[in-house]
Amino acid sequence: MTSPSASTPKALSKIACNRLQKELVEWQVNPPVGFKHKVTDDLQRWVIEVNGAPGTLYANETFQLQVDFPEHYPMEAPQVVFIPPAPLHPHIYSNGHICLDILYDSWSPAMTVSSVCISILSMLSSSTEKQRPADNDRYVKKCRNGRSPKETRWWFHDDKV
Amino acid sequence: MQNKEDLPANATVDVVTSGKASEIDDWETIKDNDIMQQQSAILAEEAEKIQYVGDKEPVSSLAAEYQSGSAILLEKIKVLNEQYAALRRTRGDGNCFFRSFMFSYLEHILETQDQVEVDRVKASVEKCRKTLLDLGYTEFTFEDFFGLFIEQLESVLQGNEGSISQEELVARCRDQSVSDYVVMFFRFVTSGEIKRRSEFFEPFIMGLSNATVEQFCKSSVEPMGEESDHVHITALSDALGVPIRVVYLDRSSCDTGGTSVNHHDFIPTSEALPSTASGGSEASKPYITLLYRPGHYDILYCK
Repeated sequence: MTSPSASTPKALSKIACNRLQKELVEWQVNPPVGFKHKVTDDLQRWVIEVNGAPGTLYANETFQLQVDFPEHYPMEAPQVVFIPPAPLHPHIYSNGHICLDILYDSWSPAMTVSSVCISILSMLSSSTEKQRPADNDRYVKKCRNGRSPKETRWWFHDDKV
Repeated sequence: MQNKEDLPANATVDVVTSGKASEIDDWETIKDNDIMQQQSAILAEEAEKIQYVGDKEPVSSLAAEYQSGSAILLEKIKVLNEQYAALRRTRGDGNCFFRSFMFSYLEHILETQDQVEVDRVKASVEKCRKTLLDLGYTEFTFEDFFGLFIEQLESVLQGNEGSISQEELVARCRDQSVSDYVVMFFRFVTSGEIKRRSEFFEPFIMGLSNATVEQFCKSSVEPMGEESDHVHITALSDALGVPIRVVYLDRSSCDTGGTSVNHHDFIPTSEALPSTASGGSEASKPYITLLYRPGHYDILYCK
């Protein structure tokens, strides 16, 4: 099986394109606090700057999220990863992959890029320790072939962080 | 069918206590993990052998699946075969309730050409749209799904430019780009209704999943592939004002002697209408009948 991230992504469907244009307009009018969309002419890949929330472990730190949209967005989840260096967090791997249920099994078309960003920031803000997941090295090694986090079989067992 | 729920309990425990991604180091869990992946691959493959919506077939065809099984199920299938004209299967991908409802409802409109019902349901859909806006949903997240359902509804009415035949309806319900969107429309409607009447639904949801109404909608209603329970059916039936009969094919035996098959009618609460003493009018008699077997819904046709 070839990894979607390694091959050229399929072009956005008409519905996906329309939806993303609406999301982009909404973002420009009403951007989520702490995020900055780096404007490019690529509708299918968004790069978003994240600022750690004041008063949390990540205050004054800046990270970059890369959001890739599949052909059938929003029926299918976007692929969301941190561009390394990724924040030190028990649910974020050093290759930027994020263990967060809404990015995989629990994705719903009712969500938006903006709501996903807010969930990720909330995950960062509630962290009490800066450390990598216990299986970081093993997992990152497995992903060296450029595998997408959407192909990982994730287990979500801790909703406290 | 949620693969994770079908897994051996010990595998779940091992994996959950170690890491977040599924790559695990000790042999026990690697073995379990392989089995899990294999199992889920098999289930996915099995599910795809069945169309989203199948062809009409005799109810008696169910018996083949239970030949070596319980006698009571075979008896019940005989009873069903006498009571119902046909069966139409749907794919077991977690969306089977919504998919069955979609086909059954649109086929009913196609056959009856009931303009009054279409106008009525359109008014209900408008209310659902308002509910979602009131709940704070952004319109662009749901408008495409609403639009696609209204389009299907109008196309089954004959005499319009975009009118479609029964064959075309089957084809559309098998086409992911239409079918999944309509399923998602129903998920939005269901979620909106549950949240709008959260006080009513809360005790049922607590009983099912120990989650809050908000969590339940986010994790068990709005994502595609999440199975439906009586909470979903009640909410959808109420929101759209469409009664639904669910016939249960399970091992439960009845104490009345002869074999009979239980059913439950979901009759919409008519908030807008004053409740009359006479009650059960023609309007509340279900014309959508679904066959429930633990974990799955198919469509039944009345004689």
